[in-house]
This record gives sequence, C-alpha cells and structure tokens, in this order.
Amino acid sequence: MLKVHNLRKRFGGVKAVDIDDISFEQNQLTSIIGPNGAGKTTFFDLISGFTEGDEGKVFLNEKNITNSQPFSIARQGMVRTFQLTKVFDRMTVIENMMFSGSNTKNDSLFRSLMKLSTQKNNENLIREKAFEIMKDLNIDHMANSYARELSGGQKKLLELGRSIINDPKILLLDEPLAGVNPKLAEEILSIIQKLSDQGITIIMVEHNIEAVMKISERVIVLAEGSVIADGNPEKVRKEPKVIEAYLGSGNE
Amino acid sequence: MTIFLTAGSIYLVFILNEDGPLRILFNLLTFAGIYGLAAIGLNVHFGLTGLLNFGHASFMGVGAYVTLLLIPHAAGREGEITDTGLTFFPALVIGIIAAALFGLLLGLPAIRLRGDYLAIVTIAAAEIFRLLVRDLESVTGGVYGIINFSESLQIYKPEFLINFSERFELNSSQMWVGLLSWISIFIVLILLRRLTNSPWGRALRAVREDEDAVRALGKNAIWLKLQSFMLGAGIAGLAGVFLAFNYGSLQTTTFVPLLTFYVWAIMILGGVGSLTGPIFGSIIFWVIISETDRLAQLIFENANGQQLAGVRFILVGLLIMLLMIFRPSGLLGKKEELLLDVKSS
Repeated sequence: MLKVHNLRKRFGGVKAVDIDDISFEQNQLTSIIGPNGAGKTTFFDLISGFTEGDEGKVFLNEKNITNSQPFSIARQGMVRTFQLTKVFDRMTVIENMMFSGSNTKNDSLFRSLMKLSTQKNNENLIREKAFEIMKDLNIDHMANSYARELSGGQKKLLELGRSIINDPKILLLDEPLAGVNPKLAEEILSIIQKLSDQGITIIMVEHNIEAVMKISERVIVLAEGSVIADGNPEKVRKEPKVIEAYLGSGNE
Repeated sequence: MTIFLTAGSIYLVFILNEDGPLRILFNLLTFAGIYGLAAIGLNVHFGLTGLLNFGHASFMGVGAYVTLLLIPHAAGREGEITDTGLTFFPALVIGIIAAALFGLLLGLPAIRLRGDYLAIVTIAAAEIFRLLVRDLESVTGGVYGIINFSESLQIYKPEFLINFSERFELNSSQMWVGLLSWISIFIVLILLRRLTNSPWGRALRAVREDEDAVRALGKNAIWLKLQSFMLGAGIAGLAGVFLAFNYGSLQTTTFVPLLTFYVWAIMILGGVGSLTGPIFGSIIFWVIISETDRLAQLIFENANGQQLAGVRFILVGLLIMLLMIFRPSGLLGKKEELLLDVKSS
C-alpha cells in the first residue's frame, strides 16, 4: 500500500532518516518507535510531503508521491496528525470538523458567493457526518465551543476526528497519546483499534511502549534514522539491539 | 459602546466647529468612508486570513492609476487631455480587476512567506510601485500627477445631491464621492458577510489558524491565500479610486507607506476580524485626525500649527495604546477571536 525506497534526509551533518526499503501492508496497525531524535517525525514529514528528501522515493498505491504537495497526498487518502496538536484554536469544534469534511469544490469562492443550494445540502451532509464522528469520540457536547477551550486530550480527539472525516485509507498518527491522561489514553487507543478494524491502515509514532506493544500488529524500531528492528511486537521486544538502544537494559 | 463612541466623536465635531460643522462633518465622513473601505479590504487579508500586508497603499494606487488612465484625463506637465473612450464605470471595473491582479502578481512569489517576511516584501513592493509610477512620467504624469479627470464621475451626480449641497453650502462633488464610497462599503459588506459565513470563509480562517494543518487535511492553503489577497486588493483598489476623486488630482505622494499605516490603525481601532469594525474605527480615526488641531488649541493656547500637527498623532497613538490595554480585540472584535494578542504569549 505504502512503499518507501532508499529514503534519505540529512540535516547538516546529522543523518535524520536513512531507510532502504519499507512497505506497509493494507489494514495493518504499525507502530514506529525509537529514542528521541531517531527520525520518526522526519520520516512522517518526508512521506506526507512536508519535507523534501535528499534522495529516495515514496509510493502510495503504486503511485509515485515523492515530493508531492502535502494537500495532494492528503487527497489521495493519506492523512497525518501532528505531534503538537494543531487544531484551529479560534474556530469552533464543529467548524474544525466541517472544514476538514468539506472539499475544494464545496469551499470555492464562487459557490460561496452564490450561496448555491447544492452547497447548502453538502454542508448539511458534512455536518451530520461530523456529529456522528464527534459522538463516537465523545466531544459532541463541545461542538460550539472554540477549539482553544478544549483540554489537551480533547484536542487530540478533535484532531483525530478531523483526520478521519474524509475516510482516509492511511492514517499517520504522530504521538496520539502524548500528554494525555491514562484514562483518556485508553479511550484513544480503543478508538485507534476500532479505526484499524474498520480497515484503515494506521502508522503511528508513539513513546508509550506498553500501549504500542498492546495494539500494534507490527513494530518498527528506528535509531539514528535507520531501521534496527521490524516485526511483530513479541519479536521486537526480544531483539537485543532494541533492548540496548531503546527499551533499556538496565532494568533487566 | 462603539456606537456611543462614534456618536460622541461626531458630536465633538459639532461642539468644536461652531460655524459650518456640517461641511467639516461631511468632509470627514467622505474620508472615513474611503479609508474604511480600504480597511475592510485589509481586514480580508489580516483579519480573515492572517496575511500581514504592509503594502496596502500600492493596491489602492493600482486601482486609482488604472481607472484614471482609462477615463479622460490629463497627465504630466503639459496636461493635454487623453481619452481612451471608456466611461467611468467600465474603467472602475478594470481598475478593481487590475488591483486584484497586482495582488496575484505580488502574491505568486511572496505568499509562501510567513508572517513578518510577507510584511517586508509587501512594504518593499509598495515602494517599488510608487517609485515606478513616479518615474514613468510619460504615462502616469510622474510627479506632476494626473488631473482633470473628475468630470467622468461627476456627470452621474444625482439632482437631489446637488440641491442638498447647495442648501447647506456643501461641496457637491465631494458629497457625491462620499456617498458612493459609503454605498460601496454597504455592498462590499453584504458580499463579505456572505463569504465569511460560507465554507470559503471557514477555509480562510483555518489558514489563518494553522497553515500546516490545512495542508495536512488536503486543502491548498496557497491558493486560498492568493484568493484572499486578490479580493482584499480589489477592495483596496476601489477605495483608491474614490481617494483620487476626493482629492481631484492624483499624486504619487498619496500612496506613501503612511497611507498603509493609517488603514492599519483604522482596522485595529475597529476590531481585527470584525466586518463592520473598520467603519466605526474609520469615523473615530478621522474625527481625531481632523479635530485634534482644534482640541489641542484649546489646551495649548500658544502652540503653532506645526506643534499642533504633532498632537494628533500623539492622540491616535494614545488611543490605540489604551485600546490595546483595555480592549485588545478592538471596538467590535470578538474576544474569543482575539487576533492581536499583545499582552500574553
């Protein structure tokens, strides 16, 4: 589904990402872990079009998306979230959702000026869908609050909801549990699990090892930009290199 | 409170000018209408989309120059009348489109820049425009400017306005320009109200909040910003045309950076992001600008004209400072959508 070939990116002398070949299978829940500075977020930036790589190619459904614009990659069904939540603070929760659910045609200046009835119908459909998702995420009671009034965890939920409203094929989640209390983390995990069950391919960067091991079908470990382990959680957990680089050997 | 302030400032005009307050009031309202219109355009850029545009004067200038060059006018030292055969309204439409296209032209390379960098580029572009116009003497009249163009607009002046003006000893030409600018504000605001409440307006606000998130959600942020840039530039172009007709002659010195900052002050006074805010901001701004001389004369009896002129800017600055401290969202801005966060962060 998503293939990466010879992807490299340097920042000055630092090798941020140096990956020979990875492919992600459809409908698999993959987690990428690794110490800080291992290149996880840079890897996301590279495949989602936010950063241009030095070399290498990225294929989405056999189509070359290397150096495509982020919005065009998103339109092809691969949507990402951010490590630091990026909700639209001075817009309401429902506006956040509906902006994401609306497409370029619906947003057009001409249609908006003419107030076409097709646009109105579209908006109603989007609103319904947005409420459905918000209900699932348990933020529907906040629909008319400004997004900046939400708690950190609720913002994470909003960002998640915003990214699934257009039924993406691949979801890139950058630390979906960061800064979230344990109870809400549980909730978010079960939502991610549910999305995966619905057939969305999920690739997630996360530091919470317990959570990762619990729900992932595959775990990839990055260190200094390269893959040092790749496989099911059980296998990765036992890999000596991983224990040394990341899980920590001191405890054993 | 805002309406009270605005009414109060208009009342001030009556107190301070015992002879002929109406004349002064309508002169002031004409300027307020024109600058208010320009501020509405700027609000599309900054309030709605978050674009820091410090070259607003150039958009006004492009609108004014293109329109005036298309109607019968006299440019330069010799001052012979040239005529392309166009009447005022088609020329105005072309002028507005030209201003919007200038926005596009400037936007194409510059709109990718963030925040302050865009501000620097726009201020530079506005100066380039002004100097270019000044040096293209064969077309634009250079420093001699453009004159003898008013007739194209004044032939449409309605009868009632002439009668009204005669009765109160007002300048009917200026009244006509003022009336047109306020009608334009009305029309522009109706259109903008539609747009800001629409999916398009929602998309622009999203761009204002976080461009990366917009891109990550499959929207072309650059195209949205360009559209906003063109729309605001077009509105500024319209204001520029009225400004030229109000002066009766078009000079390059009109479009100095100071004009841009007047428009910024008006937008901030009225409330960034508020649709009708610039109207009230503009009236209050112009009352201060035109009445401080008299006000200051009451306080400083021995001051000369030059010293008094300084006082008005002290007052404008003071007013903006007080506003930022006690009401940072401006007169009509929504507190929840505060855009100029001067105290925190």
